[in-house]
Amino acid sequence: MTSLLSRSATALKPTIAGFLSLMALSLPALADEKVIIASTGGAYDKALREAWFDPFTKATGIEVVTVAATNAEMRAKAAAMVKTGNVKWDLYLDGEIQAASKAHREVTEDLTEFCRQFADREDLGANACAAGGVLLQSTATLLAYRTGKPGEPVPATWADMWDTGKFPGERAFPNFDDPWRVMAAALLADGVKRDELFPLDIDRALAKLDQIRPSVSLWWKTGDQSVQGFRNGEYSLGQIWLTRAKAMQSEGLPIAWSYKAAFLVGDRIALVRGAPHRDNALKLMAFWLNSPAAQAKACEALSCTPPSSDAIAMMSEEARKTMPQGDDVRDHIIIPDAEWINANAAMMLQQWNEWIR
Amino acid sequence: MTRSLTLLPRSLSFRRPSSARFYSLTTSLALVTPLLAALMAGFLYPVARLVALSFSGGTLSHYRRIFTEPLHLEVLFSTIEVAFIVTVASLLLGFPVAYLMAQLGKGLAMAVTACVFIPLWTSVLIRSYAWVVLLQRNGIINTLLVDTGPTEGPLKLIYTQGAVILAMTHVLMPFMILPIYSTLRALPPDYVRAARNLGAGPVRAFVAVTLPLSLPGVFAGSVMCFVLALGFYITPALVGGPNSMLMATLIGQQTTVLLDWPFAAALSTVLLAVTLLFVLMFRRTLSLSKGLNSVY
Repeated sequence: MTSLLSRSATALKPTIAGFLSLMALSLPALADEKVIIASTGGAYDKALREAWFDPFTKATGIEVVTVAATNAEMRAKAAAMVKTGNVKWDLYLDGEIQAASKAHREVTEDLTEFCRQFADREDLGANACAAGGVLLQSTATLLAYRTGKPGEPVPATWADMWDTGKFPGERAFPNFDDPWRVMAAALLADGVKRDELFPLDIDRALAKLDQIRPSVSLWWKTGDQSVQGFRNGEYSLGQIWLTRAKAMQSEGLPIAWSYKAAFLVGDRIALVRGAPHRDNALKLMAFWLNSPAAQAKACEALSCTPPSSDAIAMMSEEARKTMPQGDDVRDHIIIPDAEWINANAAMMLQQWNEWIR
Repeated sequence: MTRSLTLLPRSLSFRRPSSARFYSLTTSLALVTPLLAALMAGFLYPVARLVALSFSGGTLSHYRRIFTEPLHLEVLFSTIEVAFIVTVASLLLGFPVAYLMAQLGKGLAMAVTACVFIPLWTSVLIRSYAWVVLLQRNGIINTLLVDTGPTEGPLKLIYTQGAVILAMTHVLMPFMILPIYSTLRALPPDYVRAARNLGAGPVRAFVAVTLPLSLPGVFAGSVMCFVLALGFYITPALVGGPNSMLMATLIGQQTTVLLDWPFAAALSTVLLAVTLLFVLMFRRTLSLSKGLNSVY
């Protein structure tokens, strides 16, 4: 059966190739002067275009074409492109943790060689350029809460999130198939020390989550749900993204957050294996790391932390205030163990699925 | 006696000559070849590849995992349960609409038909978001309930299993209404008239004549609703809570989060097999009850 199918597929190939070449002919001959990047679209895309893509096009004449997709779609699509040998994208964005996984490394090009040129840059941290991709920005997932009257106690740690006596009100947690953040918060609330967090004790985390479950009114799947839920008063304490919390504060909603209960996770720009415009893609990535001004502008709009410390210095006082500060980063902020998370992703999701339903 | 003298009305001659009688074998084959080729390239080949992928490594390990970890079977059963409830709800709500459409005069029937078709032409995503707007905490329904007084505070309507069933029923109802409508429409009014003439009341005439004759449409609609419901992904993701996990959710996780495609393929193959099994069971039930063979 299989051989019959593959034979018929072979017979079809010239026909398909013929069609494709016809299509290629009808496209304008811009192939050499562009680069195709997949990102999550919307406001994110707009900020990147203004701060990064447009100045890049101006400087090099290379057109930047963006394709919008969710992170999960990008991951699956890039993998499919590489597997079928039909690569249409040059770059795509993925989470810091996923970018360290084996599956990611099979789909993207190792950038170790490319990263050498940034090795002696003082404004860039060691992780600004890694084999799995170039650091685009970092942002936090943290404890945000509805502000009450002045003088009332405010929640600061994950233990406070679990303390329904002192801080009444409903809770929100993410449920987007990447459960380590919720489990880690539960363990911290249960008294596990920051440097002993990984490897996560899943059973203990789920037992702690059992305690808070009756108070959880929202398990959000998309960032938009977390915003809509807060606007509607569906929860008063939630584990949400800093970018969304910041957006709600700008909107005038009574929201504040604690950096003492925060996880710092970045987004990386990855180069797809066999990218059609590889050279342009490398130029675009180098342009990002070499332009603190572009980073500052993008992160000002998105309230993220740029990879370059020069860029942080260029940002407004107000924007810097809503960024995780030095002391908080040193003493409280959790930087996840990407290697452990990737190695145990399937097991964690399995246990999470069984617990959540 | 020639055919033209037959006393049966046209609508009773169920077996009309098929078009194959008018075309030669070669012409018939030439006519179906494009469709067959498209089906082969666009459907059979990818499905075969998917099934092959699920056996990758030459082992049954993925299937063993599905059948040994309780989660997957539980989700499969709850998917079947939701699909069944949605089918029954669509039938109960859709049959009266189809009946009304068949009974009404031309103008009104057009209006009702438009009410059925316009949602069908609207994207599933938009229809699902509309339910979010209706059911959310400060949504229209909750505002109405609180303002008019039947409930003290807002009810938890969104992110529940009930919301999933409601929204899925809404999305799938046209697939139930249209086949029932077409069978009811083809039903000569003489039959009901004859029943009434013989002394049956309107209820008896409906139960003894209209209902049994509409069953082909009911079964066709049910099969379609059920099969489509088994694979639903977007609607449960938008209006469902953590406890409304369906097979498509699990397959999506494996495809996009864990990139474990062989296991995703195995889950899909199991869902495909279950779907085929149900379709065959429906057919078997149909062929046992005489007179319903015309469905297929």
